[in-house]
Formats: sequence, C-alpha cells, structure tokens
Amino acid sequence: MLEFEFMRHAFAGCALVSVIAGPVGWFLMLRRQAFAAHALSHIGFSGAAGAVWLGFPPLAGMIAFSLAAGLAIGSEHEADRGAPVQRDGTIGLVLAASLGLGTWFLHMANGASSLATTLLFGDVLGIGRNTLFSLLAVAIVCLSGLGVLCRPLLFSSLAPQVAQAKGVPVKIAALGFMAVCALACSACAEVAGALLAFSLMIGPPATALRLNLGPLAGVTVSTLLALFLSWGGLILSWETDAPVPLWIGLGAALLYGGAGLWVRFRNLSVRTTSSIRAQ
Amino acid sequence: MHLRTDLRLENVTLSAGSSVVLKGVSLQTSLAGITLLSGRNGTGKTTLLRALLGLDKPSHGSIFLRNAVPEDIRKDVGYMPQSIGDAALAIPAFSHVLNAVGGACWGLPFHWRARRREAERVLKLTGARVFAHRPLGALSGGERQRIGLAQALIGAPELLFLDEPLAGLDHGAQNEIISLLCELSRNLGIGVLMTSHETSSLKDVVSRTLLLEGGHLRARI
Ligand SMILES: Nc1ncnc2c1ncn2[C@@H]1O[C@H](COP(=O)(O)OP(=O)(O)OP(=O)(O)O)[C@@H](O)[C@H]1O
Ligand SMILES: [Mg+2]
Repeated sequence: MLEFEFMRHAFAGCALVSVIAGPVGWFLMLRRQAFAAHALSHIGFSGAAGAVWLGFPPLAGMIAFSLAAGLAIGSEHEADRGAPVQRDGTIGLVLAASLGLGTWFLHMANGASSLATTLLFGDVLGIGRNTLFSLLAVAIVCLSGLGVLCRPLLFSSLAPQVAQAKGVPVKIAALGFMAVCALACSACAEVAGALLAFSLMIGPPATALRLNLGPLAGVTVSTLLALFLSWGGLILSWETDAPVPLWIGLGAALLYGGAGLWVRFRNLSVRTTSSIRAQ
Repeated sequence: MHLRTDLRLENVTLSAGSSVVLKGVSLQTSLAGITLLSGRNGTGKTTLLRALLGLDKPSHGSIFLRNAVPEDIRKDVGYMPQSIGDAALAIPAFSHVLNAVGGACWGLPFHWRARRREAERVLKLTGARVFAHRPLGALSGGERQRIGLAQALIGAPELLFLDEPLAGLDHGAQNEIISLLCELSRNLGIGVLMTSHETSSLKDVVSRTLLLEGGHLRARI
C-alpha cells in the first residue's frame, strides 16, 4: 500500500489534518459550536467552487470564504452576562447565503457536476505535493493561533463571566478562534470533503469530552483518535474499495457510542464495587 | 481595625435594559467583614455587582473601589456570578479551577507547578478538594458553589463579590458556606460583598447591609 506515492501523500495529509482537527475540534465541542464546524466546512465548499470558476486553487477559495464567514459568525453580539449565545440563527443564515452563492459558482464553472462531487466528498487519494505543503502551512498557522489563544479561550469557555471580570478579552478570543476554525475546516475538507469535514472535528473531541477528560488529556486523546480515524479510514478504503469518508463518518459515530458504553460500564463497576465494600 | 472607604459611588445612575437600578446614588462605605447587598428580585443587585467589576457601565457618575476605577483593580477582586453557568459540564471541576489561574494571559500555560499549587490552595480553602476530580456536571448545587468560590479566591483577592452564594442550599450547607466566608474575612482579611435573600441566616455575621430599593441604595450597620 505504501509503495504508491499517492498513498504516502494520503497518509501524510491525513496526519496533518488530524493534528489540526483534534485540538481545534476539542475547543469547538467544548464551546458547543458543532453547528459552526458543520456550517464552515459547507461554506468552504462554496468558496472552492468560486475559486475554480475564477481559476484559483480550490483550497484558497475555501479558506477565503470560510474565513469571512467565520469572522461574520464570531462577531455576533455576545449575549449579556456571558450566557451562551443562541448563534444558531446567524450561522444558519450565513450558511444558506453562501450555499446559494456556491450553487451559482458551480453553475458558472463548467463541468460542474464532477467538480461538485470532488469538493463535496473530498479526494484524499489525489493529494499532491503542493496541497501537502499548503496543509502543513495551515497546520502551523492553526496550531500557533490556538497556542496564543488557548488560555483566554479556555477560561472564557469554562467560566465566561468570571473571565470577563478578570479582564479577559472574551470577544477577541472568540473571533480569533473562529478564524482558526475556518482554516481548520478548510484543511479537513481537503481530506474528508466538505460534506464530512466536520466528522473529524466532531467525532474525536466529542468522544474525549464524553470520557470526562480535562483539557490536556482531552486534546491529546482527540488528536490521537482523529489520527486513528483518518488512517483507519484510508486502510479500510484500500481494503474494501469504499470511499474514505464512509469509514471516517461511521467510525466517528462508533467511537462516540463506544465511549458512552464505556462510561456506563465504568460507573456501573464503581457502583458495584462500592456496594460490595459497603456490605 | 481602621475603617477605610472601600466603595465610593458618586452620583451614579445605572440601568439594565429599560429598568433603572440606581438613580443618582452617592454613597461611601467600608467593605471590611461581610457586607450584605439585599433587595427584592429584579431590583438590580446583579447589575450593581457587575458595575462594581467594570462589566456594566453607569450611564452617569463614577464608581471607585479603594480609590481606583473598577477596571484598574480587577486583580484584587474575586467574583462569583449568580449562576456559574452550564458551560463545559463534562470537564473535571479541578480543570475549571486550574484554568482560571492565569487564564487572562496569552500564550501556552507554563508554570504548571505554580498553577497547580494555587488551584490546590483555593480548593482546600473551600473544602472542595475531595470532589474536584469529578466532572462539574456530576456535582451537587452546593458543591458547585464551592467550586465557584474557589475560582473567586484565585490570586488571593482582597475583595470578594459573591452573587447569591447561598441560593439553592439547605440550611446545613448554607451554614457551612457562611462560616467559610466568616473564616475568610477573619483570617485573610478579605472584604466580602454578597447578595442573598437569606437575611435571617446571615443576620449574626454581617457587618453591614446595603439595601437596594427603587433605585436607591441605603447602608445600614
Ligand atoms: N440584559 C438585560 N436586558 C434588559 N433588562 C435586563 C437585563 N438584565 C437585567 N435586566 C433587568 O434589570 C433588572 C435588574 O436585574 P438584576 O439581575 O440585576 O436583578 P437582581 O436584583 O440581581 O435580581 P435577582 O434577585 O433575581 O437575582 C431586572 O428588572 C431585569 O429585568
Ligand atoms: Mg441577581
């Protein structure tokens, strides 16, 4: 399998994307912004379609579009007193508007249907050397952005009002994070396609949160799980000839379900041991 | 103990949305010991506390805490909001406290040891160490109050603003929190300003009461 260059590229691409999706997704899930991840990757699809029509590389269009949308979503008013904001309305409308644009871009670009398929479902086996370098650049930018933002972001996600009272620039942290998310979603879409880009951003971190892990352990576990999912998807698709996103999507849901079962089992066994001790 | 002016309001008008909380109020008071901010639901206690933290701005007049504007003495004030929120319930309570230590700084969190020590210290002060490893969502209301209190105590503040720290607690738990607050103010010299409707449980321990009513704020010793 590894004797083919396209497979080596695919594995490298998946590794880069997992390193981005694990940490960024963990913060997204912590802040309950799964819908934003979903929306941003679809918005990226419109950007990619626009770029193809205008003759730019799709990744550039993806990044430009989702960055703009991310800033639009992030700049919405914080609810008073740090309450979780009902952002869903804004996100949904930004998504609708950009998908509308996307269909028009596809209409204008020729050979629309095959292009749409590639963008929607991704083409991990077609990752070239240039794409790999772009992914590397995106990973570096995302992770350094997250590194700079992580403390105010974590504080304002865990205790928004206390963070504000301590002078944390909650708004700037939220905006910066949305920009990082937009970049991350574009990178994920490159591998898993716009339709499933968010599966890597949501499945592993949701699993880590379900296991009640703290930030450091949570980010580490979700990165490792993302790697496991994407490489596992590659290997399975090599063996079965089914598309990679199938395995990534199914695997994400299975991981989450498995984590739930495990937590239940753990609680059950704690309860039984303590009741045996009590007897 | 000498009584200094901790809180000075100069002709302050403060509103939240369409309701007026303070109408041109001027007041000077010490906050030594425990100060109770009392008033009926919706009179604006939370809004006033937020204004003292510099989070809500008065439309008129000025607020001084220890002769400084609220924004300038943030690090000396600990705050526990009315609801500690339903954010991130899956994360262990210990992380909630740990990540509030130095949480306002940019960049990666170094100084692991010092941050851990500070988190352990405040958790010990509030008696929350035994359950801090559990996820926040798996804690009872009283246990969560202690976590919130621990967060407020980070960085050894001189003033503590607590919004309804006794809400939802049974009598036993209320008395535990009250004696904890007495200890903090006695041993560490922290000035506690708290809102509460439990005036009867508090009447023996408060040094003064600020009554908020119809846009006026009156101090009673
Ligand atoms: N964001 C807001 N927009 C509009 N009005 C608000 C807002 N927040 C508070 N209010 C109003 O301001 C008034 C004061 O609210 P506040 O929460 O400060 O009262 P409170 O004294 O703390 O009440 P409680 O005892 O119930 O905690 C209330 O009448 C409330 O309806
Ligand atoms: Mg209130």
